[in-house]
Amino acid sequence: MRTCSLRGLAGATLVAFSGLSAQATAPKIPFERYTLPSNGLTVILSEDHSTPMVTVDVWYHVGSKNELPGKTGFAHLFEHVMFTGSGHVPYGVQDRLTEGVGGPPNNGSTTNDRTNYYETVPSNYLEAQFWIESDKMGWLLDALDINKLNAQRDIVKNERRQGVDNQPYGRSGEIINAALYPAANPYSWPVVGSMTDLSAASAEDVKNFFRLYYAPNNATLTVVGDFDPTQARAWIAKYFADIPRGKPITRPTVPMVKLPAEKRLVYEDRVQLPRLYMVWPTVGVTNDDAIPLSLLGGILSGTRTRRLTKALVYDQQAAAQAAVFAGSNESAGTFNVQLVPRPGHSLTELEAATDSVFARIKRDGPTAAELEKVKANLEVGSIAQLESGLGRAEALANGSVFFNDPDYFRKRLQKTATVTVADVKRVANKYLTSGRVVLSIVPMGKTDQASKPEASTKVGATTTLPSHKEGR
Amino acid sequence: MRTSFSRGAILPAALLLGTALPAASQKLDRTAEPQPLAPRTVRVPTWTHTTLSNGAELVVTPKHDLPLVSFSIVFVGGASQFEPANKTGLASMTASMMREGTTTRSGDEISEALEELGVSGIGIGIGSESGSIGFLTTTAKLARVLDVTADILLHPSFPAASLERLRGQEIVNLTQAKDQPAFVANNVFNRVTFGDAHPYGRVVTEESVKGITRDDVVEFHRTYFQPGRAIISVAGDVDPNVVKTTIEKAFAAWPKGGSKPAFTYPAVPAPRATTIYLIDKPKAAQSVFAIGLAGPPRDTPDYFALQVMNTILGGIFQSRLNHNIREEKGYSYGVSSRFAYGKGPGAFSGGGGMTTAKTDSALIEYMKELRGVEGEKPFTDDEIAQGKAHLAQSLPSFFQSVSATNNSVSTLYLQNLPPDYYQTYAAKINAVTKEDLARVAKQYIDLNHLNIVIVGDRAVVEESLRKTGIAPIVLLGIDGKPIGSPVTP
Repeated sequence: MRTCSLRGLAGATLVAFSGLSAQATAPKIPFERYTLPSNGLTVILSEDHSTPMVTVDVWYHVGSKNELPGKTGFAHLFEHVMFTGSGHVPYGVQDRLTEGVGGPPNNGSTTNDRTNYYETVPSNYLEAQFWIESDKMGWLLDALDINKLNAQRDIVKNERRQGVDNQPYGRSGEIINAALYPAANPYSWPVVGSMTDLSAASAEDVKNFFRLYYAPNNATLTVVGDFDPTQARAWIAKYFADIPRGKPITRPTVPMVKLPAEKRLVYEDRVQLPRLYMVWPTVGVTNDDAIPLSLLGGILSGTRTRRLTKALVYDQQAAAQAAVFAGSNESAGTFNVQLVPRPGHSLTELEAATDSVFARIKRDGPTAAELEKVKANLEVGSIAQLESGLGRAEALANGSVFFNDPDYFRKRLQKTATVTVADVKRVANKYLTSGRVVLSIVPMGKTDQASKPEASTKVGATTTLPSHKEGR
Repeated sequence: MRTSFSRGAILPAALLLGTALPAASQKLDRTAEPQPLAPRTVRVPTWTHTTLSNGAELVVTPKHDLPLVSFSIVFVGGASQFEPANKTGLASMTASMMREGTTTRSGDEISEALEELGVSGIGIGIGSESGSIGFLTTTAKLARVLDVTADILLHPSFPAASLERLRGQEIVNLTQAKDQPAFVANNVFNRVTFGDAHPYGRVVTEESVKGITRDDVVEFHRTYFQPGRAIISVAGDVDPNVVKTTIEKAFAAWPKGGSKPAFTYPAVPAPRATTIYLIDKPKAAQSVFAIGLAGPPRDTPDYFALQVMNTILGGIFQSRLNHNIREEKGYSYGVSSRFAYGKGPGAFSGGGGMTTAKTDSALIEYMKELRGVEGEKPFTDDEIAQGKAHLAQSLPSFFQSVSATNNSVSTLYLQNLPPDYYQTYAAKINAVTKEDLARVAKQYIDLNHLNIVIVGDRAVVEESLRKTGIAPIVLLGIDGKPIGSPVTP
């Protein structure tokens, strides 16, 4: 173990960041990490006995990015299939041993880069979770047939109906990604995949995908909470060690995206009010520019005194809502602005006002005080995540999988503390260029409400699908 | 108490040795389900209960494992008691306005002061039957955050210009909500279930928001935020005596006044025969259901039986509704049900989004499950065991953090629950019998008087819904008002 504290860490952490110009004394989560020699499974254990509960969180380093054009949606489909029973654990047993013993629901989620499966249960039920998760990892295909696949395809279609088709502005994500990335780029297709691909997939296609990516050498098992580490290690060896190692995995290389010119789009939706999206391509999480970009997002929106919010929502009162956020996947990222106008104000006006705020920050950079304020708050926010067992498990797994360092969240806080005004100004100039996507979503028949309608191209209803799937 | 829960080794040494065998030394029988260890004892924290000089109650729950404090002032009574019927939205508007400035701080200065203290915000909210103002902070910052909180609570300036800005934003929010089928279904359900005369049936509208004046806000603030109906709850790394002094000092300018409201409500409109209320949403990919009727208050003696019954019916993933309609039939991404309780007749309601082409089949299955819990499909011992365990063993999560602890303790006072509520919680759940479950299902889910609200594509679903013969169809607008004459099957 790196540290032997058995206490939770959230409090210690908040104290460490108590000053406005916080010199990050980053928090420590006690953990140990090891690899099973027989098959390469990565294990992370983190004790916390403050409540008699335990979280088990299994990450597979596979997402929609690992799919191929024409065979999309497999990673997310597996997220569903994984709850339908495996070779020795019939359907329904996992639910009985999680929600049926008092745990919050077991669930999973899929992104472009990874899939996770997690459960929080009373700590006396820990061994059963290892039994279930190991059986999925080693024996899922024994229980998978075409009927089961078809049933899950139907539920995935309902997931899309609920999250995209029946949601106002629900298609914004897939329209933006399709415009941002060339068709061959694995971030161009949505996580849920193409319904055509899903319907066409043969059982053998799907099984081959599983054999390669759901092997122990591509998995990270994180356990957080009230358990005895000696006992846990023994159980993990008992249930996971005999699962065979999978074949070596070749990960896709994703080239950096640069748009040669602005892409202006307008999409008609069944909505009352128009909405404006401005999106710039940026970098993946491992790139050093990801942190100053994230700070730049915080300088522009979040509280009433942040630049874009203050200008558009408070001073000019042209927007009802203004949100800016920088987000990064494993290999690529985006810088995003979303604006909702107040009646009497146009999207064209909001775009111009945003450009003017951006021009000023590119010219002068942020003030030192603005930057320090945002740093302190980003730190507090990222630490708040660590209060729950699942939040802690996710932080450890994320660091381990993408940075080979479960402690990465702490390094990230340290890196955040060293970002300068000049760094923020530099990334603003480097990434917030004319090579961007500007999408107006407008009420049906009201394309004249788009920002610069004459320069915008209409997007039709297509069969492409959304970009992130949460929950089964 | 220093710790909330027992600590220590989770199992005897003998067991440890037994399971530490190398994996390769024996063939593992993977069909054998591991048995749980002995459950760990959950200890409920203790708290002090005193009264401040201005009449506010003070509840302090020490929890010293982290240097964190969760603070809140909760108020008994909410919009249903204090909001005029034609001013819906006034309570929330007042809460928003309190952040807009005090006699000595501008709205920007409040925001900056909290950022400097590293507090993500002071939450102010007023719901139907209670309100609260509170925050999470570190022990060291408590007194300084309390100063800002007291300033916001006691000396708001309510700038007129802020009211206009917030009004504009709220109208945009209401306009956007019209596009959210789940929001529309819920609003219409409340209107048809409780009517205009009952506070539970009132909804915030553009007209009501337009009618709010600064004087209304000033008056609402003056009458509502009174110590005589307040419970100040502190959970975390504090000493009860020391924190009492700190709080007395911070709120020294808060004069005595107010009392807890009586929660008298007008009668719920006489229940109508089961009806489908259909709200047209052309081209909708799903039909969103909200099905139910007025229910019992929180202090019903049947509370625990209802909780267990509903867990089995629609409270968890493998509940009957979700298992059948999502997992077996594939009509939905999720189906659930719940009792709202409340001081008055909080509704029993349930539903979810159903794929448009299967709207009729989904309703048939939904009704089948309601009939099922009333006797057609008897509860199994396994269902009952899981339903009870799901509820009883969630107790640790009630005290998982200082915020959860604060919420769990203050809820006792808001709801007038006995002080040993959490100590006896599991026993009361476990005392529910199979007979109780069938009885409460029958008693509280009146199949002859259900309001079935469906927001969906009328052109596709109306005819097939009529053919189910389940109930006559009444067409309503998204505001819940009739748009056509009733059609009988």
